[in-house]
Amino acid sequence: MSSLPTRLLTPFLFCSPWLIGFALLFVWPFAASLYWSLCEFDLINPPRFIGTQNYSRLASEIGTEHGFGLALKNTIYYSLLSVPLSVALGVGLAVLLSAKVKGQAIFRTIVFLPSVIPVVAASVLWLWLLEPDSGMVNYLLSWIGLPNQNWLNQSNSAVSSAGFDAVANSWSGQPLKLFGSKDAVVLMSLWGVGNFVVIYLAAISDIPQSLYEAAEIDGASGWRKLLHVTVPMLSPVIFFNLVMGLIRSVQTFASIYVLSEGTGQPGGSLMMLSLKLFLSAFDDLEMGYASAMAWLLFVALVVTTMLLFRTSRYWVHYRVAV
Amino acid sequence: MKWKLIISASCLFGLLAAAWAFKMPELTAMNEDRNRNEVVFWHFWGGPDRDVVESVVSRFNESQQTYFVRAVAMPGNNLQAKLFLSVAGGDPPDLVNQDDPILADWASRNVIQPLDQITSPRDVQSVRDSLLPAAERLSIYDDRMFAVCNGLDIRALYYNQTALTERGLTPPKTIAELDAIAASFSPNPESIHDLAGAKTFGYLPDSRRLWAWGIVFGGDFFQQQFVSLTAPEIVAALTWMVSYAKRFGPNRIATFRTGDQSLPGKMFPLLPVLDDQTTGRYVLLMDGQWRVRDIEMFQQQRRQRELPVPEFGVCPLPTPPGGLSNAGWVNGNFFVVPAGAKNGTGAWEFIKFWIGEIDSGQAAKTCAEGGWIPVRQTVIDDPVFQQFLDRQPLFRPFVELATSENQYPFPIVRGAAMFRRTVEDAAYQAMQHPEQSPLEILTAAEIRIQNQLDRLKK
Repeated sequence: MSSLPTRLLTPFLFCSPWLIGFALLFVWPFAASLYWSLCEFDLINPPRFIGTQNYSRLASEIGTEHGFGLALKNTIYYSLLSVPLSVALGVGLAVLLSAKVKGQAIFRTIVFLPSVIPVVAASVLWLWLLEPDSGMVNYLLSWIGLPNQNWLNQSNSAVSSAGFDAVANSWSGQPLKLFGSKDAVVLMSLWGVGNFVVIYLAAISDIPQSLYEAAEIDGASGWRKLLHVTVPMLSPVIFFNLVMGLIRSVQTFASIYVLSEGTGQPGGSLMMLSLKLFLSAFDDLEMGYASAMAWLLFVALVVTTMLLFRTSRYWVHYRVAV
Repeated sequence: MKWKLIISASCLFGLLAAAWAFKMPELTAMNEDRNRNEVVFWHFWGGPDRDVVESVVSRFNESQQTYFVRAVAMPGNNLQAKLFLSVAGGDPPDLVNQDDPILADWASRNVIQPLDQITSPRDVQSVRDSLLPAAERLSIYDDRMFAVCNGLDIRALYYNQTALTERGLTPPKTIAELDAIAASFSPNPESIHDLAGAKTFGYLPDSRRLWAWGIVFGGDFFQQQFVSLTAPEIVAALTWMVSYAKRFGPNRIATFRTGDQSLPGKMFPLLPVLDDQTTGRYVLLMDGQWRVRDIEMFQQQRRQRELPVPEFGVCPLPTPPGGLSNAGWVNGNFFVVPAGAKNGTGAWEFIKFWIGEIDSGQAAKTCAEGGWIPVRQTVIDDPVFQQFLDRQPLFRPFVELATSENQYPFPIVRGAAMFRRTVEDAAYQAMQHPEQSPLEILTAAEIRIQNQLDRLKK
């Protein structure tokens, strides 16, 4: 029989590879970045403590059209459009793909396939698809009478005063140039919706058939079954995907970097928080400022997630075992 | 069973002997190299340029008894972070080649060494004196030599000679002439149908090129330690660029420009795509000397296929009244020696070899092989390089421009990356919103950059 300290220590020894990795690669950078956020630090010279100056600078930039303010505005736009759209499209596709039709497995594979393509390759592909003169997206839009959109060469965005102006001007005969680079990135984000669809499909298959049968007995149409059975039963999964999608949208980096060649162009419209953070740290050599930005982002995400959790009690329905 | 064993052992022995024989010369070379001091050289070149770099390295190694250069191709992305980590970790390379405007940021943070710390100030001064003005500007920070420029990138105006001759026009010398040629080949801005279907524009300014036009108009982006985007010359340059956006509409310009990116193989947009065409997407286009290679290949292919071969030319950027002649924005590659480099003196020898301080003929050969612009007049004058220029007449104007006093790089100041991004954003905004005042846009950008530079000074 081994001694008590040995017995207590043994499990930790077995866990030690993970514990060491966690401490070195997660806890240490986390703590170090918090300290650096209070410093002036250029990666090469020792950090110099400057108190909350980096945070004050970030605060002073909020609401402006440059620096952190612009990046925050762009990211909020992107998140507010891409997350709800990916949820709506994900649920819609999952419902369609759960229908028992011939070739169901093939359709599911097709929807999931884009998710396994590397982001960089997909971004290059989208550069072609969004090409104004000969891209496929504009070709499809021409079917509904829209003129060629400039996509990645235009800083304006559809859901903005410029977008509304464009609609108003189109009534006086000017070509309707509605979509810009941020809309292009939102469109691209939907490319990876297959990941979410897989989760929705699993959740749909878990909905008890008896609920649909009861709804049918009550005379519910397909649409009402979707609204009053499928969506409420999916709400825990929708909530999960909403939170994960929000975090992912704020962290989007690779596609933005490829599309804007690492510059945030055109006109700073693709300067998202992740890119701004990267450029501040490794281009402008302001690691302290970048760390403060990362912490602010972290706090903002925590607060938003908590708010989502608070609202979830009103719209998320967890199944109770009877 | 026994036979199988013997055959297997023989095969294995044979393979090992073959491998040893194959590797023998390399192993011998490695043994010889061990007797010399190794210079680790990071560079970012790939493709055909990498072969040229390896050729220079090999020629240097052959010429040396003391040093041996080991070239390491390091992709340009995040090179800065990699270098910083190596410097902070105490194991930096001995020599790095760069082309981003990082000199001031690296020098002021002691990431690189002033060259007079690795060799005698007289030696440094001798190299400095031999450089062309543009190359010298790219090498100096705070009046001290922290880098040695080893290749210049010059921008000039390419023109389609055939198209101009057909209309009895000559290459533009002034902005007014450029505007007239541009108007002659561009669609009628009053006709929506013409604009929408246009396949060619005479000329369209690119917002990123405010750096060049600002200088041509006589401006200076950074004067006496202050950002000077609101200098009248720079405002005039941007106003002129915006006049194109006003004429054709920002959206049409943006759409047309995006089409340049989708040409097969990212073709030079001055060149016609279809066999029956002699004009490309533009008749006049500002670009660098590397496009000479594209034109040469295009003309060669056309000749082989017995198709009409349009002629092209290159001229300096046209000037407005009071502007600077032979002016423009220049950038280039430069060598820096990181702090803590173990073999700075070896790096210095290699720098001198590359730029032709030791032997102009070697440098001339390098520049001719790579299609690069030399940084020293003696290399330009070398017969090897002159023969190259005779074979490549389009290259000559670039070399002449390289010797001009009026070629300026991005301001060499701390925060240059932000400076550059902000100016380009401002120019883009002005061209995208021609209804806004260029002066107001530049004023806002100037304040932002100055604030950042002031912050960095503290």
